Amino acid sequence: MTDCLRYAPMIGAREGELAPDEARALAAHLAGCPACRAREAAVRETDGLVAEALLARASRRDFGPFVDGVMDRIAARRARSPLDRMLRWVGGHRRSAGLAAAVPVLAALALVVYVRTDRPARELALFELDTVGNVSIVLRTEDGPLVLLGDGEPEDS
Amino acid sequence: MHAIERMARHLLPAAAALLLLAAPALASAEIPVRVRVLEGSKKGPPRLDPRLEDLRRQLSPLAYVRWEERSERKLAMSQGKTEWIQLPNGDQVGLTLLEVHPDAVTVEVAISSQNTQSRLAVDRGQRIVHQVAREKDGAALFLSVNAWP
Amino acid sequence: MEADDLALVSRATAGDDEAFRALVVRYQRKVYAVALGIVKDPDLAWDVAQEAFVRVHGHLAEFKGESAFSTWVFRIATHLAIDAVRRERTSRKDDVDELRDEDLSGAGEGILATPLGNDPQANLLRRELLGKIQEALDTLPEKHRTILVLREVEGLSYEDLAERLGIHKGTVMSRLFHARKKMQAALREYAEIAPGTGGDAAEGEE
Repeated sequence: MTDCLRYAPMIGAREGELAPDEARALAAHLAGCPACRAREAAVRETDGLVAEALLARASRRDFGPFVDGVMDRIAARRARSPLDRMLRWVGGHRRSAGLAAAVPVLAALALVVYVRTDRPARELALFELDTVGNVSIVLRTEDGPLVLLGDGEPEDS
Repeated sequence: MHAIERMARHLLPAAAALLLLAAPALASAEIPVRVRVLEGSKKGPPRLDPRLEDLRRQLSPLAYVRWEERSERKLAMSQGKTEWIQLPNGDQVGLTLLEVHPDAVTVEVAISSQNTQSRLAVDRGQRIVHQVAREKDGAALFLSVNAWP
Repeated sequence: MEADDLALVSRATAGDDEAFRALVVRYQRKVYAVALGIVKDPDLAWDVAQEAFVRVHGHLAEFKGESAFSTWVFRIATHLAIDAVRRERTSRKDDVDELRDEDLSGAGEGILATPLGNDPQANLLRRELLGKIQEALDTLPEKHRTILVLREVEGLSYEDLAERLGIHKGTVMSRLFHARKKMQAALREYAEIAPGTGGDAAEGEE
């Protein structure tokens, strides 16, 4: 059983994702393990279906208004103060009660994004982050956080 | 008398040392913090100020090609006390150590003109790089904060 | 498409709104699909997708051109979506990433009632199947939904997944294993219950 614990997660790897000796060891294991061969068959059977299902729904939706909505939001941000902007965005859209809580959070919260910085990824240390005001994006790197202010519209450019 | 004096001289430092060890070391301790004001610019030949070499990797996702150190301060910060850093554009940034742990600190970075307060926890060995002025004429100001440099 | 993007991004950074609009239109559906997979609700996914483009626009000037525009949009959309979901859910203690012996049970059964292929009713069946896939996906906890969606819709490699989510490559692999296993279990449930997915549904199962 311990062999399967090691090899089962490797099933579904694409070309180049496993080191050559890992790939060889996996192939050898599969040759002798019907359970893992079944797992591999299951992965192949369902490969791509999640993408297909989601993209099919995206295709069915009318995206005509999407880009206009994006440009409207950008224009609104340029025009107003941060607090004002957040309040108007909340008020200007009808939402179900469940979503209403999420809306101001999306607009006002600094977004934390992991960014690899030129080295094989090691686990990025968890750190606490809390911002109020004009911070828009925090890039989490191995060396520590890189915080960018909101509204990157350059002045006098 | 002489012998006792000599004995006292040995004992007192030891006693003092013991007191220091026994004291709640962290709360009142001062942490060395290195603060630098950086200017990142899109103009001019690509160059990283040699004093900023330790930040090269952390700055790599950004589009600014030229980085210069505008000022540096070495502070001894204690928990709860705000230090003010002057920026070349006349603005000020308030730095406060909110929490101190053996290998990590939580720092608040507050920019006066931006009405911004960021509270960030970093491990020993990590640095905070925080934009403190928006881009103007292709250049932006950042602050780097390094505890136990 | 990459080279095309770079030209558009330069123009957009210089303030050319038409160039930016072209970039939005190019990626809008795929970004929406990723967001939808993670947040489940179509209206919220729409918001997340729009907000992602807005954020990128606000930082176009700051990000180095080497990372593709699309990478930034997907990165930001991913984290907005995860944030939006985490506000609502309570984390479950039993949701560990590592693999244990009990996780290996239950292999060796076919999942899909009907082999995908040359069936005269292919369209209808496929649409039903995709509906089942969606339902099954929606039953997964956020972190499993997310990694599956990023792997399949955005097509991220193990290395890119590790970066995107801030985890080790080993964790990527075991988390994907858990995600797929849960998907398969959910699909089996639906295949058993649903009558119309093919005559072999009940038999092909156990």
